[in-house]
Amino acid sequence: MNPTTLHTDAQTVTLAIIAVVLPFAAFVVNFLVLGKSKASGWVSTLAILGSAVLSLNVFFKVWDNHTIHMQQVWFTIGATKVQIGILLNNLSVLTLVLVSLIALPVHIYSTAYMKDDAGFSRYFRYLSFFCFSMLALVVVDSLITFYAFWELVGFSSYLLIGFWYDRDSAVQANKKAFIMNRIGDIGLLTAIIILFTQFGTFDIDLLFGEHGLVAQSVISDGFWSSVPLHDYEKVASLPAIWHYIAFGGIFLAVAAKSAQFPLHTWLPDAMEGPTSVSALIHAATMVAAGVFLLGRVYPFFNGTELTTLAIVGCFTAFMAASIALTQNDLKRILAYSTISQLGYMVMAMGVGAYSSSLFHLVTHAFFKCLLFLVAGIVIHQIKHIKEDNNLDIDPQDITLMGGLRKKLPLTFITAVIAGLALVGLPLTSGYLSKDGILIQAFEWADSKNPLLNIIPVMALLTSWLTAFYVARLIFKVFFGELRLLKSFPSLQIHIGDGHWAYKLPLVLLALCCLFPLFSLNPISYETSWLYEPFAPKHWEGHYSIYTLVIPVLVSVVSLMVIYSAYVLYVKRVGPVISETGFLYRISFNEWYIDRFYKRIIVKFVIWLSGALYWVDRKVIDGFVHLLESIGLCIAKATAWCDKYIVDGVLWLAAQPVQYIGNFARRFQGGKVQYYLYSMLLAVIAVFILKLIWA
Amino acid sequence: MITLQHFMLVSAMLFCIGLFIIVSKKNAIQILIGIELMLNAAILNLVAFGRYDRINNGGQMFALFAIVLAAATTAVALAIILNVYRRYKTIDADKINRLKD
Repeated sequence: MNPTTLHTDAQTVTLAIIAVVLPFAAFVVNFLVLGKSKASGWVSTLAILGSAVLSLNVFFKVWDNHTIHMQQVWFTIGATKVQIGILLNNLSVLTLVLVSLIALPVHIYSTAYMKDDAGFSRYFRYLSFFCFSMLALVVVDSLITFYAFWELVGFSSYLLIGFWYDRDSAVQANKKAFIMNRIGDIGLLTAIIILFTQFGTFDIDLLFGEHGLVAQSVISDGFWSSVPLHDYEKVASLPAIWHYIAFGGIFLAVAAKSAQFPLHTWLPDAMEGPTSVSALIHAATMVAAGVFLLGRVYPFFNGTELTTLAIVGCFTAFMAASIALTQNDLKRILAYSTISQLGYMVMAMGVGAYSSSLFHLVTHAFFKCLLFLVAGIVIHQIKHIKEDNNLDIDPQDITLMGGLRKKLPLTFITAVIAGLALVGLPLTSGYLSKDGILIQAFEWADSKNPLLNIIPVMALLTSWLTAFYVARLIFKVFFGELRLLKSFPSLQIHIGDGHWAYKLPLVLLALCCLFPLFSLNPISYETSWLYEPFAPKHWEGHYSIYTLVIPVLVSVVSLMVIYSAYVLYVKRVGPVISETGFLYRISFNEWYIDRFYKRIIVKFVIWLSGALYWVDRKVIDGFVHLLESIGLCIAKATAWCDKYIVDGVLWLAAQPVQYIGNFARRFQGGKVQYYLYSMLLAVIAVFILKLIWA
Repeated sequence: MITLQHFMLVSAMLFCIGLFIIVSKKNAIQILIGIELMLNAAILNLVAFGRYDRINNGGQMFALFAIVLAAATTAVALAIILNVYRRYKTIDADKINRLKD
């Protein structure tokens, strides 16, 4: 590498570091200097604006160019040098720019959305801290620092879910999110430890880079062996089971962060946080961290493991979409939709559609963030109605809404754009990414066991379910008449889109949901600038039958589904869906998974901890108490011996002497005459004795 | 006729008087006098029993020795009393109790 590129590389790395540290600086300033001042919102927003600009700069330098990797020794343990550094490749700069670009409108939106909240400055403190953790997570180059920021991201998410800590449900939700994330963290830690044992390094580039250690390791004859890091080392070899355990750990981590089955139940509850937080963290960025992790360690997986990912992702996508069909809480629908889309991404990773998965990650971030912001506005306005009229209603219940498209025109338009992108209709970004995943899933299944054909079929089905719940959401919220008016006919309603801090983010994000940002050709995902750099080398673009059939199938059937939803919810004709049916109940109760966890696992854990507490109290403490009593008994016996036997002997020896001494002392009065008395007495005694014995 | 019994009676009386003086008086000089009386009672006995040794006159001889010794001890005792007085400014036997040390 020649000196000039080295110089510019160093510059790029510096820019990236500044982009990462700016939100942290905002956090520190807000924390130490500003206190409860309202200026904190603008400090954070400016910081994230700076981050976004710098990230874009870095992005254009690195994207589709060469990987930049700079590091220096952090500390040394024995012969192991642990490095700390920055790794900028396509994946990390893409995510870097995505996070900062999504965070920017959310920050602007939040300044308006949180305006009247007592915790305004605390909110921005947390938000900046989250942005810092997430940006740092994206650019670090070592598994150790990755793990550290992984934890910090989870922690700031915990803080923000429990932002309204005086609400019991929020506290429960953030506890749940934290505990579930801990399960994933343990998995990640396990995987990191196994990888280090096998390869002797934490360096992500060395491990997972092109021709990296992971790519060169092989599994044969039940052993997992890798080439040594240094020439003098032996070939490291572990039983193959460790490879699968490491995979399991990574999978747990992904499942917890990206809300995959079976660890997905925290995400719907996480909607207890402010809606802007849900938009940024629980829809667009943090939940993408799991998929990002998959992207980082992708070379690690072998065929079986990828199939597992595909199955789990597909199942999650289908399950979450089916649950979203019947939910009535606006944010909960969106949360399940997020889980479903994340399932798509994981499935895409599993079927080898690496680039489509990341593509979908990016497009999904924009339209899901937009949908959440829309939801935020709607909820905010309903809350206004509620407060103006002193109603006792749940402002998130979509069965109470309706007809809002006239009141909130801009919100309505952006919601429709985002909704269409989520469904994956042509001309939107979602079309490009989602159809890419579906097409590649079908192609993948062709070359596999016929049973695995169920995966792409279920994914296709899921996309139609998606169309239905999105249509249901939009029709129920924006069409028809405001259903609140039915129960409360004399409502005072003054609501609107709100001022520019609401409108600007919506418009920005809505533009990002359309196709031109990603591909000039609105039909073919393969021509997208975002797709190509990740695509396998020597990709020549083939055109199977699926390339033609799938988009048509998705679009046409989705349109039909949307029309049926229109008939069902706006025109109110056709069959009324029974609310007692078996399928309805499964969907409405979220497949009973949460209830199962509560009934079985939580109960078991509580029982177990109770039992352990009992063991601790009775057995361990009992043993200690027993030892204590034995010691006490021995000590008491010794004390008794000491007092009565040892001291007693001495006392016996001393007492007569003292007695005699005291007796004799009486004769030694010191006065002459007393001596005389004594002598006299002695003489008389002698005489008396003599008389007696004579 | 004065018999041995009379001597012994007088001697016993003298002894008892001396003893009483010793026990009851506080003044060191008086005690000394009591001692002299008891000594004299012993000497009287010696002289009285001297009749059974007419050839050697052992009784009389012992009596003489005893008288001389008594004079000597009296001199020593008086010297002690004088020293005691110098030291304690009293010769009250009750107040001088340093003998116990």
